[in-house]
Amino acid sequence: MATQNQSEFSVESAYVYDHRSPVRWIFSHVWRYKGLFLFAILMYMVAWTSFGGARVLIGQAAEEIINPTAANGLMIASLSVLGILILDGISALMGSLSIETIAQRLSRDSREELYISLLGKSQTFHDQQRVGDIMARSTDDVQQLNVMINPGLLFISEIILGMIVPMTYIATIDWRLLLVPIIFVFFYAGFIGYYRRMLNPVIGTQRYSFGQMNAGLEETISGIEIVKASASEKFERKKFYEAAKKYRDSFAKQGRVEARYLPTLFYAFALGLTFLHCMYLYNISALNIGQIIAVMGLVGAMRFPIFISIFAFSLVELGLAGANRILELINSEAELDENLAGHTASVRGDITFENVSFGYDESPILQDLSFTINSGETVAIVGQTGSGKSTLTELINRTYDVTQGRILIDGVDVRDWNLNALRSQISRIEQDIFLFSRTLAENIAFGAPNATQDEIEQAAKEAQAHNFILSFNEGYETTVGERGVTLSGGQRQRIALARAFLSDPRILILDDSTSAIDSATEDDIQKAIQRAQKGRTTLLITHRLSQIRWADHILVIDDGRIAAYGNHDELLRKSDLYRRIFARYDAELPPLETAQAQ
Amino acid sequence: MGFIMDGLDAEEYDRSYTDGELVRRIVGYFKPQAGRMAVVAVAVLAASALNTAIPIYISSSLDQLTETIGTNQLIQIAIGLIVLGALGYVFNAIRQWVSAATVGNVTLKLREDTFDAVLKRDLSFYDSIPSGKIVSRVTSDTQAFSAVVNLTSELMSQLLLVFLLLGYLFFVNVQLTLLTLALAPFIVIVALGFRKIARDTVTQSRRVNAEVNKHIQETISGIRVAKTFRQEGAVYDDFLNVNEQSYGINLRTGYTFSSIFPILNTIAGIGTAALVYFGGLAVRNPVVSLTAGEWYLFIQGIALFWFPLTSIASFWSQFQLGLAAGERMFALIDAETKLEQTDDHISIPEMKGAISFKNVDFSYVDGETVLESFTLDIAAGETLALVGHTGSGKSSIGKLISRFYEFQDGTITVDDVDIRTLDLHDYHRQLGIVTQTPFMFDGTVADNIRYGTEDATDEDVERVANMIANGDWLRSLQQGLETQVGERGASLSMGQRQLVVLARVLLQNPSIFILDEATASVDPLTETLIQEGLDTVLENRTSLVIAHRLSTIKNADRIIVLDNGQILEEGTHDELMAQQRHYAHLYDTYFRHQSLDYIESSPIA
Repeated sequence: MATQNQSEFSVESAYVYDHRSPVRWIFSHVWRYKGLFLFAILMYMVAWTSFGGARVLIGQAAEEIINPTAANGLMIASLSVLGILILDGISALMGSLSIETIAQRLSRDSREELYISLLGKSQTFHDQQRVGDIMARSTDDVQQLNVMINPGLLFISEIILGMIVPMTYIATIDWRLLLVPIIFVFFYAGFIGYYRRMLNPVIGTQRYSFGQMNAGLEETISGIEIVKASASEKFERKKFYEAAKKYRDSFAKQGRVEARYLPTLFYAFALGLTFLHCMYLYNISALNIGQIIAVMGLVGAMRFPIFISIFAFSLVELGLAGANRILELINSEAELDENLAGHTASVRGDITFENVSFGYDESPILQDLSFTINSGETVAIVGQTGSGKSTLTELINRTYDVTQGRILIDGVDVRDWNLNALRSQISRIEQDIFLFSRTLAENIAFGAPNATQDEIEQAAKEAQAHNFILSFNEGYETTVGERGVTLSGGQRQRIALARAFLSDPRILILDDSTSAIDSATEDDIQKAIQRAQKGRTTLLITHRLSQIRWADHILVIDDGRIAAYGNHDELLRKSDLYRRIFARYDAELPPLETAQAQ
Repeated sequence: MGFIMDGLDAEEYDRSYTDGELVRRIVGYFKPQAGRMAVVAVAVLAASALNTAIPIYISSSLDQLTETIGTNQLIQIAIGLIVLGALGYVFNAIRQWVSAATVGNVTLKLREDTFDAVLKRDLSFYDSIPSGKIVSRVTSDTQAFSAVVNLTSELMSQLLLVFLLLGYLFFVNVQLTLLTLALAPFIVIVALGFRKIARDTVTQSRRVNAEVNKHIQETISGIRVAKTFRQEGAVYDDFLNVNEQSYGINLRTGYTFSSIFPILNTIAGIGTAALVYFGGLAVRNPVVSLTAGEWYLFIQGIALFWFPLTSIASFWSQFQLGLAAGERMFALIDAETKLEQTDDHISIPEMKGAISFKNVDFSYVDGETVLESFTLDIAAGETLALVGHTGSGKSSIGKLISRFYEFQDGTITVDDVDIRTLDLHDYHRQLGIVTQTPFMFDGTVADNIRYGTEDATDEDVERVANMIANGDWLRSLQQGLETQVGERGASLSMGQRQLVVLARVLLQNPSIFILDEATASVDPLTETLIQEGLDTVLENRTSLVIAHRLSTIKNADRIIVLDNGQILEEGTHDELMAQQRHYAHLYDTYFRHQSLDYIESSPIA
């Protein structure tokens, strides 16, 4: 079996699949139901054998009509045809239902497998993935697996059986008659590969140009106000016309490629030449009319695979590509280890950065940061977007590891801490606060499922959330997202703060970009955050000037470096950037100490 | 292959066009393609005839075999069969080749027309229809409509085949043909019954799939919270439930789809067996002149015959889908803009930007008045801040000046010229607009600054970029002006986007500037840069600001306090604060927390 990944979550009874390649993975899923799978194959073999047999029986019936052997001969022949065709129908139905069951189970199982694997991935992994991408893999790609089995795999088996079974029957009638069908299969198989190489890029181009046209149009419509205000209608029209024309061209091209699907022509030759061969053998009395009818009927059955070929191979290809994407996700490994033997202690909250740098290869995000935060202090981090503010805080709880230097918490390198001990005592409140579609009480108590209603309400009160929660009809039992219950950014933030009050972390990192539209809400948010700062080390990435102004220290980050570090008064004297903020407010500023700036 | 199940999504649409009208419009689009259409029709006819001829040819050849014939004749027979098949291939290829070009051209023309129609509409149209729907009318509806053309030609060729074959079969033997036909109702009834079941199960499947997706989406989005609090187990149990439920329902849908073809095949099989027997009796009966070859023709016929029948079952709803798509398109093309420009098309070359509203009445929807007898004069070069609660009419004023909506009464003039007589294209060139969420087009920062001023040089772009806050904001962009902004500017922060659009306006150098200030907060450094940039843009320009920032309001020449479309107060910040009336109240509600006093006041313990 594949090497076991490190995982933060696992299910004991989970079935183990083969992760070495997409084909093996799908096979191990299918093989889980080997009984059903073998049954399905058997049923299809019975179905095709019956169908082919029916052609032979029809031929024999023809012979019986022309040269009767017994009084009830025709009746027997007809009843045999009826019997064998009903057998064909029933076995095809059984096979089809079995394959469908496997396809649906594959969807269910692979989704479950992916889900377990996602739950087991580290936060680092999830930070690096886009939700949309994971969603696409767990929905579209899983769906792709489904249709790959039914009808994809089904069609492939129809193609194989649809060639082999009729040819076998033909061989039993007269093996010489195989000459033409074998040449036909040879040409057909050779052409299919070539044709797909020709068609696939055309379909790709067409899909791409449709996407381009759609995206461009969507952009124009969404930005229509700007388009109109800039009098750019002509520009947009030209853009759209060009995109639409490109699509038309690729559409027409696909039509031309499809028109040149030669197997239909090959088949016309195969049919004619087999007929010739039959007639020749008839002329030399090696064949009777009934046998000719049987052979023509069997060659007729070979027509079906021609129509489904293109489709069938694409389905399998798409399914494999989907499986590959799902496997990529399952097989990707987390960078961090849990460090179970690491330092475990109650965090006091002293944080020290020593010459910390972080970045990928050529593009450093943070360079050579050194500073100290004492337990219980509040530090505000100020910087433009992209200056590295958030990354800096993510190094503290080891969402990422530093590339140079080290970060100490209570004098111990974060990499020497037990990951669980470290993270459980550091709480981060994100910019986009996520609430589950559950009640507000459950959302607040998410980390402490055993909290009492009183404790929940106490936390909500401290977070200034109690009042607005009660303003909902169902109070704490209000379900988020139901019946149009949506919470504003400020309300979400206060729910998140209530969560934090209940779990009581030693270090609080607050990424606070919530904007309050009115001053009363602003008062509430300020109160809640100030309350949260008390008694814990707090890092604030905030847009709120009053919180920056009153923080113990302010860290000004510019382009990944520390531009200034100190309290408000110091920075007004030392940092030009920082002064500029307050200059807009007509504040009285102390003289700038230019010598110490930078 | 699943054509029997196609078109299950068909919904009922209100038809507002008569069939005749619709047909006339459709024909109009195909007229330029008349030559190609004729070729397609001939090809369809020929291919169907040839496909019908093949089994007939085989049958009659079989009958010839009963007499002794020479090798040469055998070869001739075989060549005849090959020629029939090959010609069938050729005509089919012609049909595909030509109809792809035809459909492609018609779709293109339709798309161009719908796009032009959309572009001509005023903004009230965009308010009433979500952008996703407009896009789908221009791209998907045109597609769906054209698909009907393909569908029709496909169905025609199949039906033609059935009729040609049936006609011939009747000619050969009436009773056996009727026996064959007796199958038809069974096949059609089964097919229709299945569609009914499938329609229900598909709806249920769709619902349960959405449920599963929602669950996964929520888990992934909230994974950080689930992990921080170690709640993976509980989330997993929820998932198992939903996943199992989805399996059950999807299995039922899958069974429906999987059983239809085996069942139809079995029905056809029963028909085949019946034909073997009764056909056999007929051949033996000397009164009926039926040959063995003809008997075989009936057996072959049944296979050719039931396949098209099943597609008729789904054709109608698909056809309806296509017509409905056509209607939506034509409705889009036919609708008129609500703007009533008179024919004068006046251009004001050196616009100063003095704007005057006189007794203007305006409502977006009839009966819901936004502005009533509204009068306001804005001097050239003045910066005017509009404040008021949501719904007070602030943004409507900007939208009327932009000429995005039609007003119902009164007059609006720009430099004393009636706004309804202006050449709109020319007028919009002198207008600069920044919307609340700054809009970005996919491309580089430079492309976005240049938008609307396509002829600007790189130096121009660089110059204006550096005029905004000293160009300090450019340092935070990875590749400076060449940074890709991503879809809708997703790679830039909100603050950076605001800076880009300010540079855009500066490059356009409009006479009138309308700003709907963003409400979302931006980090203090970027905010400072934006404010500095705004100072530059506002300078020497008639500006109308729907203000949310205290500093913008304070810097305005004049503040207008609006409520219910009425001007309550006007003046500067200090004047209005001194009055202690409406403005002072608004200040206390919305702007107090942006003041220096608030920032400087020590933390509320």
